[in-house]
Amino acid sequence: MNHWELRPARDFGMSFAERLKSHRREPGLLGTLGHALWLGAVRTYLAAAHRLEIIGRENLPRDAPFVMVGNHTSHLDALSLSAALPRHHGRKSAALAAGNVFFGNLASAMFAAAALNALPIWREETTPADLAFLRQRLAEDAMVFILFPEGTRARDGVMKRFRPGLGAFVAGTSIPVVPCYLHGAFPCWPAQNKLPRPGKLKLRIGPPLNFADQPNDPHGWKDVAHIAETAVRALGA
Amino acid sequence: MFQIASWQDAFASPVTCALVIAVVVVLLAAAAAIALVSVTGRASPAMRHELWLRLGSWLLLLPLMIGPVLAGRAWTIVAVTLLGLLCLKEFSRATGLFRQPVVVAMVVIGLLAVNFAALDHWYGFFVAIPSLTICLIAVATIPQDHPESYIERTGLGGMAFMLFGSGLAHLGYMANEANYRPILLMLLLCVALNDVLAFTCGKLIGGPKLLPHTSPGKTVSGAIGALVLMTPLVAYIAHNIFIGTPLDQFWVLLFLGALVSVAAQAGDLMLSSIKRDLGIKDMGTILPGHGGILDRYNSLLLVAPAVFHLITYYHGFGLDQPTRLITGP
Repeated sequence: MNHWELRPARDFGMSFAERLKSHRREPGLLGTLGHALWLGAVRTYLAAAHRLEIIGRENLPRDAPFVMVGNHTSHLDALSLSAALPRHHGRKSAALAAGNVFFGNLASAMFAAAALNALPIWREETTPADLAFLRQRLAEDAMVFILFPEGTRARDGVMKRFRPGLGAFVAGTSIPVVPCYLHGAFPCWPAQNKLPRPGKLKLRIGPPLNFADQPNDPHGWKDVAHIAETAVRALGA
Repeated sequence: MFQIASWQDAFASPVTCALVIAVVVVLLAAAAAIALVSVTGRASPAMRHELWLRLGSWLLLLPLMIGPVLAGRAWTIVAVTLLGLLCLKEFSRATGLFRQPVVVAMVVIGLLAVNFAALDHWYGFFVAIPSLTICLIAVATIPQDHPESYIERTGLGGMAFMLFGSGLAHLGYMANEANYRPILLMLLLCVALNDVLAFTCGKLIGGPKLLPHTSPGKTVSGAIGALVLMTPLVAYIAHNIFIGTPLDQFWVLLFLGALVSVAAQAGDLMLSSIKRDLGIKDMGTILPGHGGILDRYNSLLLVAPAVFHLITYYHGFGLDQPTRLITGP
């Protein structure tokens, strides 16, 4: 028997504007529908315009929670990683997105929240308490986080060092981290361009990494970032 | 169908005119009273702010309640549908039911269908939808192959549909009666007044708490006071609406009045029980000074079906009106 917990939404009592930018935001029926429709459109677009090829899909864990990490040169990265997820993970997946890019104004925040189910990471303002909350939410709500530990899109297309923030979510837990490498995104949609252009994309998904033995402290986080970065680079080689 | 009624049609019943005038007079009196206590300094700044906030919410709510009723049958049903959807949203966010989107989707389908039946004026469909929707909710999540918490999610979904779908839709169905405006206005306004009377009697008389673990603010004197005052008021208004019909009998009218007051208070206590169980104060924040939509309209939830079936027993709704307006031949 499973005990049903009468638990209000994490964002219960927040105003509409507060919800949009909150790490506590949980989608309802409309949000779930919006996200599903968006994912369907994205899959269609990626298949038609970019002939997206996914290698290693069997490495994705069947059950959440887990974290997908990848190289970051383009907005196509998050779209491709989310398109690779099985449909039953759709409602539970959230891209951790740059707050200043996706949540800077109401219209883009509404799009990021409704279509991408994105959660904002603010470069200067996200606190250790925020990271701790996201770590807790990842586990408790059995979510799938899609994140790019380089922190920003590489302007020259060359993969940068991973930042240790990734470790704050998974160090000392059994939550798997799935390394991914997307080939071809930079020529299709570099950060300098406003719109994408067609071109071949190939996504390689590696076997999950486990960081249960890493301490949940800054040293452990650095090690997590280093190991994940090495795995992603290996996929890109 | 969605034509807006002329002033003559909207105010054809003298009871409608009297009720709308009474609302305007009460609002003006309330504004004058708040202004008086503000000027004389008899209320703290926080209390003054709260009072103005509540009055402001009523100034917004009352036109939203009365407007569709005056505008016409279809507008009334659309307004009831929107009210049901908003109540469902608050309920599902508060209880966590929203984490079961398939169940919520079934509740929404049932809610839209039962209100469509009201709009179509198809009583057979209207009474078939509740049992069919419960069947739908019961089977919808079985294919997910997650029997854990099946009883809880199905039970919550069924409760949500019966309260915000089927229950509230009775208000909309009433609009199929030719002289529906005074009936609906009587219910909407008397239910709101019942809350005020219970609060006022409780404050003036005091005494033992009614159900201290469920709703610490309510008193026995408030509940009885509201019942004693509301029963003759509803009976008097109903007498003027149903004059010369089988419903226009002294004891039946008194029973109707008592039913409105008791069902309104029961709806209030039902929501209090839900909130205590969840450990929350309000169901939302959309109405300043009130909380959520459900905090304001909880009293209507049980009044709508209870009064509908009592009036149907003696009088019926829309029996002389055309039926199956949309689906008919």
